[in-house]
Amino acid sequence: MNENDLSVYVITALLPLTAFMLIFQVNPYHALVMRGILGAIAALVYAVLGAADVALTEALVGTMLAITLYAVAVRSSLVMRLGILKDLSTQGERQFEQLLDDLRIILGKRHMRLEVFPYTDMQSLDQALIEKEVHAVCSQRSQPQSDFEQDYAACENDKLCFHTAVRVQRLYEIMQAELTSPGNILTYVKPSGSKEEHS
Amino acid sequence: MLNVLSYTCIGLGIIFWFWGTSHLLGNRSILFKLHSLSVSDTLGSMSIIIGLLIKIPSEWPLLILAIISLAIWNTVLGYVLAYCSSSGDNYERE
Amino acid sequence: MNLVIMAMILALLIPIYEAWKNDEVWQRMLAFASIATKTAIMALVISVLRDDWMIGIVAVIILSVGNAALMLLAHVIKRINDVSN
Repeated sequence: MNENDLSVYVITALLPLTAFMLIFQVNPYHALVMRGILGAIAALVYAVLGAADVALTEALVGTMLAITLYAVAVRSSLVMRLGILKDLSTQGERQFEQLLDDLRIILGKRHMRLEVFPYTDMQSLDQALIEKEVHAVCSQRSQPQSDFEQDYAACENDKLCFHTAVRVQRLYEIMQAELTSPGNILTYVKPSGSKEEHS
Repeated sequence: MLNVLSYTCIGLGIIFWFWGTSHLLGNRSILFKLHSLSVSDTLGSMSIIIGLLIKIPSEWPLLILAIISLAIWNTVLGYVLAYCSSSGDNYERE
Repeated sequence: MNLVIMAMILALLIPIYEAWKNDEVWQRMLAFASIATKTAIMALVISVLRDDWMIGIVAVIILSVGNAALMLLAHVIKRINDVSN
């Protein structure tokens, strides 16, 4: 044991090194890979220090199970679900693709993904937003509602006008600040379940 | 004599490790890195284990098991990583 | 034999540096694969040095299970890239 002392110290020093590398990661998926590296190093340190059972648990649970579960959890939570109409893409296809690309870039800065759910008619689209199946709906409104009449007047000349309703306040703030596509009107829909006012 | 042989095997394995991982630092494509890394890691690790086997033959079942699992798993892992990463690349390119 | 362990630690530092520096996720997965194999072999070498069967068995289990974890993670990350693009 004595002649191995120096190498044991150096191996132990790898553990805080990889731990600092892990906590300075910004991208969640990169952080998961770094967690795997940390788990491998930790298992080595535990084995070298003589705790074989802890090393085995770290390798099986800490590295394999935790990383897989976290990967699935991160993948299913960092997503924005957008509901659209099925026949919408036939009319203003190019402009709508442009809008989706802008949205993907904005969400990509925050390591989020965009999933698009097509619905058959306007009623099921609104119903999906109310029942919290989707986070936002994007549609091409035929008749303007009274609240946004001046907005519709502003984009009436190019005939392609999208109306995006968001029910998550943080997403609304992000999109309002950064989504600058022409011909898109953004509204915030308060969730029907919550009665209290959000200022 | 046996001692020299075992140290030669272990030294050869470590040289393989350094050779394979030094390719990781360059700016080559990911498949090139994967190839050099998997070849050198598998061969280097097997060489190290054979060196240990010559040095201490009493632990032979453990070391044989390590060689077998290394040969099988690293080959399969190389295929899986290449499949996953290359299909992702194709998607980005289109 | 101490020299062998130190050389292995040096070889282990290369993929760690690579994983810290590189920004692409697949390069990091490669570095992770390299580190997983190298740490298991190091544990095996140390177990043989100390003539300790317990650590040796754990090292062999880590060697086979760590690779399985890597394949699972690789498939999940591939699915993420497929859906997001």
